[in-house]
Amino acid sequence: MLSRPLTLPLAIVLGLALVVTLFPVFWIVMTAIKPPTDWNATPAIWIPEQPTLVNFRTLFDPDAIREYGVGGVSQPATASVLGSIFASVIATFFSILIGLFSAIGLSRYSTMTKATPLVILSGRMFPPAAIAVPFVIIFSVTNVIDTYSGLIAIYVAVTLPFSTWMLKSFIDDLPREIEEAAMLDGRSRLMAHLTVTIPLVRGGLFATTMFIFILNWSEFMFALVLSYTNVTTIPVQLAKYVTATAGTLYGVQAALAVLAMLPLVVGGFMIQSHLARGMTFGAVKR
Amino acid sequence: MQKNKEQIESTLDGFDAGQMSRRGFLQRMSALGVSAMVANTVMLSPLGARKAFAAIGGAEERAWALAKEAAAKATKKSLTLLIPTGSIGNMTPYVDKWKSELGIDLIFIEEPDEVVHTKGMQEAVAKTGSYDVMMPTAMSYPDWIDSGVIYDLTDWVEKHDPEIFNPDYGVVFPANHHAQLYNGRVAGLLNDGDQITLLCRSDYIENSDKAKAFSDKFGYALSTPKTWSEYHDIASFMHDPANNFYGSLEYRSRYYVKWMFMQRLISKGRLYFDNEMNPTFNSEEGLAALEDMLKMNEFLHPDAFSFTWSSNYNAFGRGEGFMNICWPSGFKYSKAPSTGPATSGKIAATVMPADKLKDGTLLYAGMFCWGYGYAVSKYSANPELAYAYAQWMTSPTISMDAIPYLGGYSDPYRVNHMKQPSERMLDTYTAPYLDTLYNNMVNTVPDFCLPGGFEYQDALDKEIHACMTGEKKPQQALDDASRSFERITRRVGKEKVQKSWLALTKNLAEPIKKASGADKWG
Repeated sequence: MLSRPLTLPLAIVLGLALVVTLFPVFWIVMTAIKPPTDWNATPAIWIPEQPTLVNFRTLFDPDAIREYGVGGVSQPATASVLGSIFASVIATFFSILIGLFSAIGLSRYSTMTKATPLVILSGRMFPPAAIAVPFVIIFSVTNVIDTYSGLIAIYVAVTLPFSTWMLKSFIDDLPREIEEAAMLDGRSRLMAHLTVTIPLVRGGLFATTMFIFILNWSEFMFALVLSYTNVTTIPVQLAKYVTATAGTLYGVQAALAVLAMLPLVVGGFMIQSHLARGMTFGAVKR
Repeated sequence: MQKNKEQIESTLDGFDAGQMSRRGFLQRMSALGVSAMVANTVMLSPLGARKAFAAIGGAEERAWALAKEAAAKATKKSLTLLIPTGSIGNMTPYVDKWKSELGIDLIFIEEPDEVVHTKGMQEAVAKTGSYDVMMPTAMSYPDWIDSGVIYDLTDWVEKHDPEIFNPDYGVVFPANHHAQLYNGRVAGLLNDGDQITLLCRSDYIENSDKAKAFSDKFGYALSTPKTWSEYHDIASFMHDPANNFYGSLEYRSRYYVKWMFMQRLISKGRLYFDNEMNPTFNSEEGLAALEDMLKMNEFLHPDAFSFTWSSNYNAFGRGEGFMNICWPSGFKYSKAPSTGPATSGKIAATVMPADKLKDGTLLYAGMFCWGYGYAVSKYSANPELAYAYAQWMTSPTISMDAIPYLGGYSDPYRVNHMKQPSERMLDTYTAPYLDTLYNNMVNTVPDFCLPGGFEYQDALDKEIHACMTGEKKPQQALDDASRSFERITRRVGKEKVQKSWLALTKNLAEPIKKASGADKWG
């Protein structure tokens, strides 16, 4: 393990980096516990004198904010939280599942041309706004607009190039000989991949899963365009916290953002050992 | 309703003849099935009960009769409304009535206001039938009608008469034309009188030391500004950045700054195009408007370049400026102690300042911008019911009741809202401000309510903003905006836009038509 003494300049640089990185999080958390009068006060209030949980309560009881004379929140955020969890988890599962087997196929059984990476990543080369309208038409014709199956399908389509490409790079770094040894022991190709390849790229799998989940969890454009009444997600709900009595409800938006960050933070901590391994997997090339 | 017609008429005659007390009149009308809102309005009308009932109660009653008929026939027992986020407060008070008396569920789909137009265009493609009633701004009507996503309401309007042109109760002219019609046909029913007016701090005006210092310095009395030149003088005089108090809170932010320019331009007697669709802002007047704005920049609130409507209202309500150019909801904010702790009871409002024309006359002009309305989706399962809802909600009586509810965007737009306001309307807006709204609205010029209107608006906004930030010189900004306008006109089709523009400019206040030359456009 290489270690480096913490010098003063290094400490300053690290401290500054930490401040820059964590300040937005600090600000969102503070705004989430501010009463409406402090949301955009001038000069800015860094830490509220009278912290409140009213913004969090308003997420699930729209009338809670009325105690501050602010009205107009009409819907609880319950549906959007559940919608986000459902769409993101299912879409991530399918994206990783399909991406993993695509990656194994590409890494072990395909003769790739120079165009292959381009073809795989071509789906990501258009801005979402450019492909949103065609999808509206396709989904309308096929009756999957404003349904979770439609939203999940587009999430999978959009994240599949990432998951395929990321997982392929992890599998590429795994020596083929290990799988071949398993096959010599009598395992089929599929079983060799299931019992040998996948456990050995577990770190990369966790890292990719986390990355794909974040992409799905924070996706806004498709969720907005492809939803009417039945489908809603957290990013779409965030944009709706505007009322005639107080304008943008920064505190309520911040409260929902804090809630939205929680699964990522908790999940990140839970799998951080795998993440570290995943991120550095294959760093030393053979 | 029809059964009771004779009894209602005799009650009205009796009340007009003084044979009945107010209480007796209300009880009798209630017993005859007339809504309390209609009875109250009729009772208070200076026209006399019979005439008032015929005019004012009619639109609501006719709409309700249509709603009953359509609801009875409807297989889908709900109406879905696409509305901008934050506007729901004017509609929720009536949900129970529609459910209990008609069996119709009102379902609201809230979308951020900047997304509503896109959602409408998307529905034109998707044809899902997810919406029955849609609530866009008037600028959406041309594109929505042309794309076939909403009905032309003219036939329904002729049949059920929502009284939008009634001189006593109708939508104030010229907004009744420019905020509801597209090419002379009714595209939507206005439910929100969005116009910008000027708010000032009355406590500063009434301060004798300030008044004296001001008149010593400028040679005229301190009051709300009557002209743009006075506006500049007063802003410079009141500007006190050391004490976090600024001359004005006028917008300089993207999306809003174009309106500040357009307002000045029309005050100078220029519209946005001539009759041949050549942009007219790239002119002496346009340049002067930009120069005026640049001169004002030093007296603006430091957040002017990032203001949204809500942050602007909040800053003014916190007492951070002497003047504000804002929508009527800004007045409500400033008046309410919760949102206007420093301004409650200290507001003097006025129509937008006038500008001096070349012949020396003063021209008063106002901007009608935003301004939501109800449109009926072509893909609605119950279009008649959707229309009935739109007419009922915007009728002289229901709208009088709906507007004062907090938690919605609706502001006064009918003559009776301003000239014969209910107690609640007066409590919300005050009599002087309602007068101001009326006097400003009669001189309003519309937004780009044309095919491609959003593109024109954005192109202008981008260039004006670039000029205000110093990125472009005024002439360069106007040249570039002008070129963009010509491109948009070519792409959309000159004849199509021209037809719409000429229809739009046919109905403007006479002084504005005369100053701009639109009176000769035929």
